[in-house]
Amino acid sequence: MAQAGAVDIVRVPDRLAFTRNRYLRALQTPRGLLGLGLVGTIVLLGILAPLLTPYSPTFQIRLQELLPPSGTHPLGTDELGRDLLSRVLNGIRVDLIVAVVAVPAAAILGCLAGLLGAAGPGWWDTTIQRAFDVILAFPAIILGIAVAAILSPGERAIVVTILLANVPIFGRLSRDALISQREREYVVAARLIGVSPVRVLFRHIFPNVVDPLIVQLALSMSLAVFLEGGMSFVGIGIQVPQPSLGNLLNEGLPYLATNVNYAVGPMLTLTALVVGLNLIADALNAGVLRR
Amino acid sequence: MDGVSFQVAASETVGIVGESGSGKSVTAASILRMVSPPGRIVGGSITYRGLDVLAMSEPEVRTLRGDAISMIFQDPMSSLNPVLRIQTQLVEALDAHEKYRGSKSRPRAIEMLRQVGIPSPENRIHDYPHQFSGGMRQRAMIAMGLGNDPGLLIADEPTTALDVTIQAQILEVLRTLNREFGTAVVLITHNMGIVAQLCRRVVVMYAGQVVEEGPVEQVFARPDHPYTEGLLRSVPRLDSIRHGRLYSIDGQPPQPGEQTSGCPFHPRCGYRIERCASERPPLAVLSSGHRSACWVTQAGGELGAATAGAATGGRRAPALGAEVAPLLEVRSLVKHFEIGGGVLRRTATVHAVDGVDLHVGACETLGLVGESGCGKSTLGRMVLGVYAPTSGSVRFDGADIDSADQSHLRRYAQMIFQDPFGSLNPRLTVEQMISEPLSVHGIARSAAARKRVGELLEMVGLSRRHASRYPHEFSGGQRQRIGIARALAAGPKLLVADEPISALDVSIQAQIINLLQDLQAELGLSYLFIAHDLAVVRHLSDRVAVMYLGKIVESAPTAELFANLLHPYTRSLISAVPVPDPRPQARPPRIVLQGDLPSPTAPPRGCRFHTRCPIGPLANPERRICIEQEPPLDPHRPGHLAACHFAGEAPAIETRNAMA
Ligand SMILES: Nc1ncnc2c1ncn2[C@@H]1O[C@H](COP(=O)(O)OP(=O)(O)O)[C@@H](O)[C@H]1O
Ligand code: SF4
Ligand code: SF4
Ligand SMILES: [Mg+2]
Repeated sequence: MAQAGAVDIVRVPDRLAFTRNRYLRALQTPRGLLGLGLVGTIVLLGILAPLLTPYSPTFQIRLQELLPPSGTHPLGTDELGRDLLSRVLNGIRVDLIVAVVAVPAAAILGCLAGLLGAAGPGWWDTTIQRAFDVILAFPAIILGIAVAAILSPGERAIVVTILLANVPIFGRLSRDALISQREREYVVAARLIGVSPVRVLFRHIFPNVVDPLIVQLALSMSLAVFLEGGMSFVGIGIQVPQPSLGNLLNEGLPYLATNVNYAVGPMLTLTALVVGLNLIADALNAGVLRR
Repeated sequence: MDGVSFQVAASETVGIVGESGSGKSVTAASILRMVSPPGRIVGGSITYRGLDVLAMSEPEVRTLRGDAISMIFQDPMSSLNPVLRIQTQLVEALDAHEKYRGSKSRPRAIEMLRQVGIPSPENRIHDYPHQFSGGMRQRAMIAMGLGNDPGLLIADEPTTALDVTIQAQILEVLRTLNREFGTAVVLITHNMGIVAQLCRRVVVMYAGQVVEEGPVEQVFARPDHPYTEGLLRSVPRLDSIRHGRLYSIDGQPPQPGEQTSGCPFHPRCGYRIERCASERPPLAVLSSGHRSACWVTQAGGELGAATAGAATGGRRAPALGAEVAPLLEVRSLVKHFEIGGGVLRRTATVHAVDGVDLHVGACETLGLVGESGCGKSTLGRMVLGVYAPTSGSVRFDGADIDSADQSHLRRYAQMIFQDPFGSLNPRLTVEQMISEPLSVHGIARSAAARKRVGELLEMVGLSRRHASRYPHEFSGGQRQRIGIARALAAGPKLLVADEPISALDVSIQAQIINLLQDLQAELGLSYLFIAHDLAVVRHLSDRVAVMYLGKIVESAPTAELFANLLHPYTRSLISAVPVPDPRPQARPPRIVLQGDLPSPTAPPRGCRFHTRCPIGPLANPERRICIEQEPPLDPHRPGHLAACHFAGEAPAIETRNAMA
């Protein structure tokens, strides 16, 4: 009903405001700010790792094994005398690569697959959808085990698993969005004007379907961090001596009774990262999608 | 809504009219204390047969709802549960009250379905709502509301989503109820025609207030509020002489919650005097006997002086099409959609458009009418190359449309859409949208484009400063103007307007109709004007084509068509339109068509109209030819084509001084 005489009531200062402010406004909520704070802190710690600690993550300090936290080693040292703070901070970097590189790559590939499905003939679309179904039927960690078995464990296995687990999610999301939008009258109007199909897609349809994709991006990042942790924890992800939050957790586990600090560092960092990303996804979902 | 008061006597029919947001529905909901938060009934009283509704306990109100007073809504799907059979829902409604409980409920449910005109109700009662057509669902909902013999039925826009032929059936049901069972009816609508045909008294609301109230005959004969007058005069009518221009109410209806001082109508009123802006007129009884809230008429002033905005020299006469090649020529056009399919389902073919020929000349308007689902939009979209035809050809501006090079078509033929909200991209500014055709066709860029956008906005009655706004900042009518500006940007010759006004408020419709006419005269446009409203089509068109189930059944120049109706379907359509004139002599005998539009997946053999035709095999069983042979679309009078074996022979209908 709010359609009458709106012209002089609502004011939008400039054209960017409308698109950009949606996200800013959504994130300027308690949830959003907390999520941003957590994620921001951890990202900074990871990036600044070499500046924050004088020790290399793999440097073994003789006769300094399994120290409790102290001024020189705020998180103590591990069984080989390596500085745990340095290992945790450098471990974050793996997750950053996983979250910032692998997930967006999966999103792009997924959207392309969705686009191909939506644009192609019916049987083609069906085939792609069935393939997605099959992949989505497996929990990501099972996919991880399979991938590691084929590719041998390591960073590459993690990245491939994340791609495999996320491409169908983004593929389905973008395909459904495309199909629901392309019969809409504003799209028909653009086609009637003579706008090229590519331009219709990017200028007209994409801005109208980007919101759920952005929310999914945040969610997928949190899942990716979790997946790295899980795979490295069970030994099919990042291999020692290279540190990652997952394998640190694994290594710290036997010392839980004697050196709690060993496992607590990676555990808290991992949790904070996952929770932070989830909070961001949640805030965006509440502020942008459900309005 | 503010200080509304009116009464409904037993067995009376009262119409409440107003635009969206004027408070009609809230008024009705408050009668049953169903106002949804944050709304509140802050004062006043509601009395039903001497009982104070506002003082009742919640269980008492519940008994009142559905038992004594029941309500039906515009969208039957919102009140029918899609996963329960019709029978379950009807019986449930009956069991909730005393009268027809237990073993009495099922027979009663069947009886109710029969009463509202559902054929073979014993069988159909087992159906789910989605197996019913729109009209049948609406009737099922009325049946549900009537099960317990309520004393009062409140119908909120009960026919707005339906076609005129189905609307006529529903109105007939309501009329019968009132006449035979003495059910009082409160009918909420924006259609003055329905009020005139069905109601004894009318309440006109504007901005949450009653502005005029009285017996229908008096109010229609002599409206005493400028808004009522505007509503009556701004709608094109089938029973009046065609005017060049419609009377239109300027401006926009107020935003709900917008505070106005003085008379709420004064920003749009052509009669306003000084006092109107500062003092709110009370609802007072006038000498005419009805009540009106207007300073001018209360002081004895007469309405009828304000004229339709400056008339712009009328319409340009269309170029006679005989020698000139038509701008648009459609030959034997067919569009079939394959639907369904999949592992276990069979595919079905929707015969959306099935062999249509038509042409539109330069500066000419061809009106295309028919019930929803008859293929109008599909035809319009094929003309513009949105859908590829299954067979047949479309020639535009001297060249066949083929998918290879559509640039000429894209530049010189455009579309105006029905939905002013869906047809504008919410993420683009007005300027970005309107300038897109300019850049796509290389007409203008940057500063030149901006200047042109400004000109276009002014041409459609908006202002340059609207260019940087987003669609959500505009009202429906304003959005429709933006859509028109976009369609005009590249300088088209042909506009396909697909129901361009049917989603707009009544007082805005006339503005858009006038705009379309002005633009045609100014720019020499041709229109393919698609609508289901015959009166609007008659007002705007030079020629009219009537479509039924994918085929043209009658076509002729407008004056000829309305003076000599040849096809029984056209006659039925016209007789179903409620005329906004309550006098008995203005009520023609109606042909109420039985049943719904047959499914276009299996169109009837022979004449597609034979399953509903009032002069076909239903009425005259010996006319087997209608079932066996498809009637060709042949000329029966000069320029007048009709596809009927018995063209011109129709049930006697008074020709309602149908001078076009
Ligand atoms: N894209 C489509 N796919 C399948 N069926 C369609 C499609 N578009 C329209 N139809 C069907 O074609 C028939 C005609 O529809 P339409 O042209 O929209 O009618 P109108 O505009 O007269 O209401 C309807 O039965 C409708 O369901
Ligand atoms: S009170 Fe004044 S502004 Fe209101 S309707 Fe009457 S003349 Fe118009
Ligand atoms: S051909 Fe027969 S069924 Fe068809 S419209 Fe004419 S009379 Fe009716
Ligand atoms: Mg349509």
